[in-house]
Amino acid sequence: MPINEGMANLSHYAFVATVVAYALAVLAFACDFAFGRDALGPLRPAQQPAADLVAVGAPPASPGAGTPPPGPAPGPPPPGPGPAVTPAGAGAGREAGRLGLWVRVAIGLTALGLAAHILGVISRGLAVHRVPWGDMYEFVTTVTCVAVIFFFVLMIRYRAYRLGLFVLGPVVILLGLAETVIYTPAGQLPPALQSYWLAIHVTSITLATGAFVVAALLAVVYLLADRHDRRAAAGQPTRSGAIFRILPAPKVIDQLAYRTVVFGFPLWTFGIIAGAIWADEAWGRYWGWDPTETWAFITWVVYAGYLHARATAGWRGRKSAWIQLIGFGCLLFNTIVVSILIKGLHSYAGLS
Amino acid sequence: MTGVRTPAATGQPAQREPQPGGPRRTGGTPAAPFGVLGWARWVWRQLTSMRTALVLLFLLAVASVPGSVLPQEGIDPQAVQQYYVAHPSLAPLLARLSLFSVFAAPWFAAIYLLLFASLAGCVIPRTFRLAGSARQQPPRAPANLSRLPLTARYETALAPDEALAAAAALLAGKRFRLRTGDGWVAAEKGYLREAGNLLFHLALLGVLVAVCVGGMFGYKANRLLVVGDSFANTATDLDAFHPGRAVSATDLQPFTITLGKFEASYVTSGALRGQPSRFDALIRYSAQPGAPMHGYQLRVNHPLAVDGVRVFLIGHGYAPVFRVTDGTGRVVFDGPVPFIAVEQAGLTSEGVIKVPDAHPQQLGFAGVFLPTAVDVGGKLGSAFPAPLNPAVSLVSYAGNLGMDSGPAQSVYQLDTSGLRQLPIRPRPLAPGQSMKLPDGDGTLTFTGYRQWISLAITYDPGTLPALIAGMTALAGLLLSFFVRRRRMFVRAAAAPGGRTVVELGGLARSDAAGGFESEFATLSGEISSAHQARAPAVLEQGPGPGPSGPPAADDPTEGE
Repeated sequence: MPINEGMANLSHYAFVATVVAYALAVLAFACDFAFGRDALGPLRPAQQPAADLVAVGAPPASPGAGTPPPGPAPGPPPPGPGPAVTPAGAGAGREAGRLGLWVRVAIGLTALGLAAHILGVISRGLAVHRVPWGDMYEFVTTVTCVAVIFFFVLMIRYRAYRLGLFVLGPVVILLGLAETVIYTPAGQLPPALQSYWLAIHVTSITLATGAFVVAALLAVVYLLADRHDRRAAAGQPTRSGAIFRILPAPKVIDQLAYRTVVFGFPLWTFGIIAGAIWADEAWGRYWGWDPTETWAFITWVVYAGYLHARATAGWRGRKSAWIQLIGFGCLLFNTIVVSILIKGLHSYAGLS
Repeated sequence: MTGVRTPAATGQPAQREPQPGGPRRTGGTPAAPFGVLGWARWVWRQLTSMRTALVLLFLLAVASVPGSVLPQEGIDPQAVQQYYVAHPSLAPLLARLSLFSVFAAPWFAAIYLLLFASLAGCVIPRTFRLAGSARQQPPRAPANLSRLPLTARYETALAPDEALAAAAALLAGKRFRLRTGDGWVAAEKGYLREAGNLLFHLALLGVLVAVCVGGMFGYKANRLLVVGDSFANTATDLDAFHPGRAVSATDLQPFTITLGKFEASYVTSGALRGQPSRFDALIRYSAQPGAPMHGYQLRVNHPLAVDGVRVFLIGHGYAPVFRVTDGTGRVVFDGPVPFIAVEQAGLTSEGVIKVPDAHPQQLGFAGVFLPTAVDVGGKLGSAFPAPLNPAVSLVSYAGNLGMDSGPAQSVYQLDTSGLRQLPIRPRPLAPGQSMKLPDGDGTLTFTGYRQWISLAITYDPGTLPALIAGMTALAGLLLSFFVRRRRMFVRAAAAPGGRTVVELGGLARSDAAGGFESEFATLSGEISSAHQARAPAVLEQGPGPGPSGPPAADDPTEGE
């Protein structure tokens, strides 16, 4: 079927709009750090209400809501006076109900960019009459889209608005690279990729990668925040301390990262299994230690190590965060170095 | 993945210090702390500890790396040979370390076997313990519920007994395991989490077994097939045959395949010009000699299944057809010669022609086939993979091909040590054109070309078991991540004024994916509603003392 050039153009312009909107959102997030309500606010209380994760299901704070929501009471509200549920500092989410102007602007821009991003992915798919993740360019645009969706959910659900800067910044860079350096025009796939397993295998790998991207960024923020906290606790001078004062506590960030990996790991596992089924159908063996397969396996092993490490005394916290980052490094190596530079059966990047 | 691995009473098995002999040493006198049994137990404990498992996991990851960086015998033997040529001193050293066959290396096997032993040593005892705890009751309710991570508190007009009964009924309806006592109800749910965790690890062992079955009883083979030719699935008629350890040549399924036609289509315009868009091989096959022939359209991703074996289309190329007349005027060669593509954009292909029967001396030719020959600044190239303007360009040799002695030769390489290059300038030949060799050595005619396909033939009885084990592992993983083992506690006590104070407490012993907070809030709401429904008049209550305890215990490490 011929390529739909109109759709291909629409996709390209949508991605450009996405980059612009995200870049402005990054700017707004940065302005929030610089001039936002909390920029000169009080230090983070010593007794951190480790509760930013708690307000699950509570409605997202509406702008201007002066008071925190009266406690998480999701589901059908109990008739009459409900129990005074006090899950560890409920409603004490520091950011609840006091979103600054800059944060609201940033969220709006993120949502706008995300809409354009999704439009870009969908129109690319309509242009090529298949799932739009057949080459490196399409993979990057889709993975970043998944990562932003993921982050958006985390942001709303756990009120981790201020992590936006750290997530959207890299996304802008990746998308910018995608549109300039690794741009590949819309086209047909080679016979090896003409299979419905493309939709299954690459979709799950893409979703998992999106989750792992967010988790890795959270791990970096965690390591920085944790370092800041330890230095501050030791009375040492800290640079850029103001940022960490208004970020969630390190433990909370670490937990967010963990939950993100917990979401991504089964998807990655499924992606590998689906890939094995496809390999069995395309090449006659379900596992052949092709370089890409090998690195998918290494990535899986390291993330499995992270999950075990987090359950092992003496390996929690910083150590396991580093293991997670090593896992992400393997993932990046596979995506960038192996698929472009190392010859193998998975050399479909479309770059030469 | 996240369970606690060993039955250490401390709940922190990874921190166990090596204690040779252990506290429950058996055999020997207490004065002999390092008995054989003690050492064995110490080694076993070390092996099955989480820390060892972690180290083995990382070793496995690191050990896999050279397999992706260095060429591997099992994947691309030609690349290994090229590596030998490029690094003559380094290559034998690497070969001695099995670095050209990492995934079949003894040290690689040692790592994963140790890992699986560690895993079995941890998982199997846990399976028995889980089975043993099938009827175990939840623990008693703690005296002070407000110390739990999640708490709620309110007053009701119900009597304490009625309040507890109502809460117990509600929790039982949600399939919580219950235990009741004086003034309290304890409920626990989510045992499937541990079951899922165990299932995951056991299924990984299953994957290993399935891989072994495939390696024992399966086989792989390759065959290059020129259009018009046939072959039979016998060890002698295959180009490469890799049988499993328990497979002999007589075990092969005796089917035959004939390639009738092969068509390759390419993108003809735009930025992706030259990229293949479709490969179609029309074959005829019969399951065994004498059986009826069937037609099949073999395509990438659409293998042929015959007699439990599958045949895959994995490559294609051109086989130019040559006719060689020797110095005596005899036709000593007439047939297609498969050339191998050296680049994909234009399918420039290289190959050699060996004419051992030529007289007065043997002839050899090496050169390229260009599907769409173009002259770019005096240099020949191919502009497109389809045969729009096919041409060959050959260098000619005469002398001794060296085929009668020495090791077996590759059909794709010319051993030029006994050959002398003939003084004739290579020039591109179009189909039908000839090249006369100097000194009356003969004539070569490029009569045309045919296409060839390469087939992979595989038989692996371990595939289905591996798939089942893999899916089981995934199911176990999902259970262990998304089922949370959690406890609800209810205390009800009479308060002054005829009221009853109800206290609720919640504890998630494992909550990898999060979400117990909201479940607790929902449960609390439902219990209070149940109390509400039975006792119409209830006093308004403000928030309780709201002790902000530690954060929700959603670390999978807690407990056990």
